[in-house]
Amino acid sequence: MRAQIETKKYLFAFIITTLVFFGALVVSNKFSTNRIAEIKSIESNISMDILASETQFALLRDSSCKAIDHSTAFSEELSSLAAKLSYMEDDLGTNNKEVISLKKYYSLLQIKDYLLVKQVREKCGVKPITIIYFYSNAGDCEDCIREGYVLTKLREEYPELRIYSFDYNLDLSVVKTMKSLYNLNDSLPALIIADEPHYGFQSTEDIEKLIPQLKKLREAREKAAQAKTATSTKK
Amino acid sequence: MVEILFNSILYVFLFLTLYLEVFFLITFFEERLKLGAKSATGKLSYYPSVTIIVPCWNEEKTVSKTVESLLALRYPKDRLEIFVVDDGSTDKTWAVIQKFANNQQIKLFQKENGGKHTAVNFGIKNTTSELIGCLDADSFVDKDALHEIASAFNEDPDMMAAIPTIIIHEPKTILQKMQRTEYHTVAFFKRMLSPLDAITVTPGPFSFFRKEVFERIGLFKKAHNTEDMELALRMQSNHMRIRNVHTAHVYTSGPETLYKLYRQRLRWAYGGMKNTLDYRFMIFQRKYGILGMITLPLAFFGIFIFLYNFGFVVFHIVRGAMSKAVEISTVGLSFALPSADSFFFNTDFMSILAYVFLGLGMVIIWNGVRLAEGRFRPSMGIFYFITLYGIVAPIWLVRAIVNILFSRGTTWR
Repeated sequence: MRAQIETKKYLFAFIITTLVFFGALVVSNKFSTNRIAEIKSIESNISMDILASETQFALLRDSSCKAIDHSTAFSEELSSLAAKLSYMEDDLGTNNKEVISLKKYYSLLQIKDYLLVKQVREKCGVKPITIIYFYSNAGDCEDCIREGYVLTKLREEYPELRIYSFDYNLDLSVVKTMKSLYNLNDSLPALIIADEPHYGFQSTEDIEKLIPQLKKLREAREKAAQAKTATSTKK
Repeated sequence: MVEILFNSILYVFLFLTLYLEVFFLITFFEERLKLGAKSATGKLSYYPSVTIIVPCWNEEKTVSKTVESLLALRYPKDRLEIFVVDDGSTDKTWAVIQKFANNQQIKLFQKENGGKHTAVNFGIKNTTSELIGCLDADSFVDKDALHEIASAFNEDPDMMAAIPTIIIHEPKTILQKMQRTEYHTVAFFKRMLSPLDAITVTPGPFSFFRKEVFERIGLFKKAHNTEDMELALRMQSNHMRIRNVHTAHVYTSGPETLYKLYRQRLRWAYGGMKNTLDYRFMIFQRKYGILGMITLPLAFFGIFIFLYNFGFVVFHIVRGAMSKAVEISTVGLSFALPSADSFFFNTDFMSILAYVFLGLGMVIIWNGVRLAEGRFRPSMGIFYFITLYGIVAPIWLVRAIVNILFSRGTTWR
């Protein structure tokens, strides 16, 4: 006598499978929600820090510029935030409402930081190195992926370099204003260096040529490293 | 749109795969109390007469060890005879086996080459024993294996065939170590399929049949070089019970090189699909139980599901590699360590499902090792199986499908 099919067992296996399958979906969504919350919290912290810097700047308007060190502030936080946002874009898709909302807020934070840096530059005469980068991830800009790698590398190499990246297609009035300010056309990637737009892919070397300060920064760093080695050898 | 379609198909396949794993694990929980170690250490109430046929073709190096392992079996000598059938070997097999010529338990036969199944049939025709078994000349047995099998036949008069647990002996190469874990996994599934009457193969190493099987449904037939599968399916189509006796251990040597493994597995995969097609009248037929509803459809469609899932993994690996290549060509090699931030730990739906599959797979491997070895022992074979099997198996599976589509047969060696 052949073993009979037990409908109950089939059903039981089906119920467990369904639970595990949809459980995986729920757990995955839970992780995504937590990540979104983490990004929101980071954005909120940066927002507060920028506000604090603006206030500090206003308070010290007539004081010495030494009290305001904005050379590398927020650069790292914004960079880390950008990496996390990019991860969420891959995870949830570029059309996800939460992702778009986070990107809009991120863009606003970048512009606020950009304006603050501008104010510090005018008041104190310091010359922060900035790059404004417009990209598209709608599948119409192959070179944007490569440009992204170049800028990530540059940011790692020069923490003093402030890179503000904007999604060209983001439906945000401030981003549109930025685009019109620099009279940008549709050829992407576009980099704005020293208020001048540069279209198409720019390699690390191209950018280093466009920003001569980067070379100086590298030389200074190498000198400092050599001096350190010499000191430790003396010891 | 296309991506959504492909993903939807993948989700359906993953659901089915998960369903099967859950189904077998439920069976495992039902059966867990019967999965003990060796049952028969004392004497049996009855010792059925047994003939073990050793078909050999150019096995001069291994046949002696095989026959000696049979002579060492713990079974009354007057109830066990061994037929060594030389199937027209062109090497020194016949000369090598002459050393057993004077042994009362052993009969030597020589015939023209006709294929393994003709050698086994030759033996079957020449015996009157109640139980007839077969042992490939590249395998050898544990001394209690026959005792265990005879005990199972005694306990279940309706059992028509018994299959053992096959273990890869002393694996040396990475591929052999991988196969050892694969065989452990197969041991688990065979044991689970056994009470469900859903076994689809009575493998060459040490499968046993009651003589009436051959009297009722005939001898082995030529069947795409997988005659052991055809006989099992013929038995199943006649509602004859096949059971796995997990305590009967048989050792075999796995192919040591990728090419040899590829040849063996291509034969199995091609033969498996062809035989399933030959017995397609059982597919999705409730009267054939789990065999008709799950095992046979899986034997055929499982290959496509496996390849589809594999294709998905390959697609993502290639896409990742291409992206990395673009990065390297743009900014050069960077040796930065991956971020330790838990934020970047992959927890998308597919990854979580992959973790679930890996976890369930480990439960299966763990229990497979326990069935075959008595207790779990971690080994590199598990690592090789998890990392390599998915890479090498598609090689023969794809070729098997190509052969089916273009009606190309396979060869034994």
